[in-house]
Amino acid sequence: MVQLHLPKNSKVERGKTHNKSGGKKFNIYRFDPEKNENPKIDTFYIEKNKSIQMVLDALIAIKDDIDASLTFRKSCREGICGSCSMNINGVNTLACTKSLDDIPGDVNIYPLPHMPVIKDLVPDLKNAYKQYNSISPWLKSKSKPKINSERIQSQKDRSKLDGLIECIMCFCCSTSCPSYWWNGDKNKKDYLGPATLLSAYRWIADTRDDETNERLKKLNDSMSLYRCHTIMNCTSACPKGLNPAKAIAEIKKKVAFNKN
Amino acid sequence: MKNNDRPLSPHLQIYKPQITSILSISHRFTGIILYLSTFLISLWLFSTAFNNNLKIILDNFFYSNLGKIFLFFITFSFTYHFLNGLRHLIWDFGYGFNIKNVYLTGFLIIILTLSINVYIWFFKWSIF
Repeated sequence: MVQLHLPKNSKVERGKTHNKSGGKKFNIYRFDPEKNENPKIDTFYIEKNKSIQMVLDALIAIKDDIDASLTFRKSCREGICGSCSMNINGVNTLACTKSLDDIPGDVNIYPLPHMPVIKDLVPDLKNAYKQYNSISPWLKSKSKPKINSERIQSQKDRSKLDGLIECIMCFCCSTSCPSYWWNGDKNKKDYLGPATLLSAYRWIADTRDDETNERLKKLNDSMSLYRCHTIMNCTSACPKGLNPAKAIAEIKKKVAFNKN
Repeated sequence: MKNNDRPLSPHLQIYKPQITSILSISHRFTGIILYLSTFLISLWLFSTAFNNNLKIILDNFFYSNLGKIFLFFITFSFTYHFLNGLRHLIWDFGYGFNIKNVYLTGFLIIILTLSINVYIWFFKWSIF
């Protein structure tokens, strides 16, 4: 059943303001697993300057100067690792590539939507990774490559993978998808979500892969693939400008025309 | 710490309404309205064929203000569901997934739905 409301232990309460006003206002979701309290929204003020340009810079500044317990994932700070994905002013994106100049008013930061929260802005991605693992994200080939050589692929075949291999698995798309919210964590079988399905299509589209039929068969049930209703929130959220919805549509087409 | 103690992060409460998701949920709502309206329409067809008294009652209802609101919802739902259905058909063939086209066709069907309904209700039938 679709659960529109948050469970009791997840209701967000008003937290405290950590420093005096001045500069941009940051309202940030906080949850401390060591306290027996509900999640809270804490307020911080950070002045934008030469070295604080992106939302991630501001989060780091808060952690450095105001509250060292603020917890978030980060690594590359240039949009290629996919660690700092979070919900900024209502839309999932990477904190490191979201410029403060693009946000006119206050900055509201939440963890990725509809995920179990470990601490503050760190969601538990265990289930998402389990789903990713279920599509066997590696090359399955019956032949062996030539000795001392890669598996050669024509430029045309290689170009079929453009827009698929760029995915950094930040899960901005999956956690923006209402269908993934309601169907992504079922007991028996999950809807896999846009991120995982984009990766699934990356291996289906690869001409070097020999198990396309098996891959298509595995996705052909009522949950895994077909809980995508072409809502398109995934494509509008993707911080890398990829198109998971298109990839899912291509899988649906392949499943429909697959005769085996 | 137990895993199921973890709170669920806010979702519907905080996600900014996207033109994409709003149009999608509207498609479902208009579909439900159309499903329900088939009972009314088939009742009217039945009355036309077999029961003149019932037909008079229904016709009176359709000419009342409440009836007009019902009919407006039906024509509105039909035009929206039909146009968005075409959009979905095009997607099913694998076209129009570029996010610019998604927004463009989205706004297009909103404008078309509104103008078709304004035409039907204010110009064609001149009911008001």
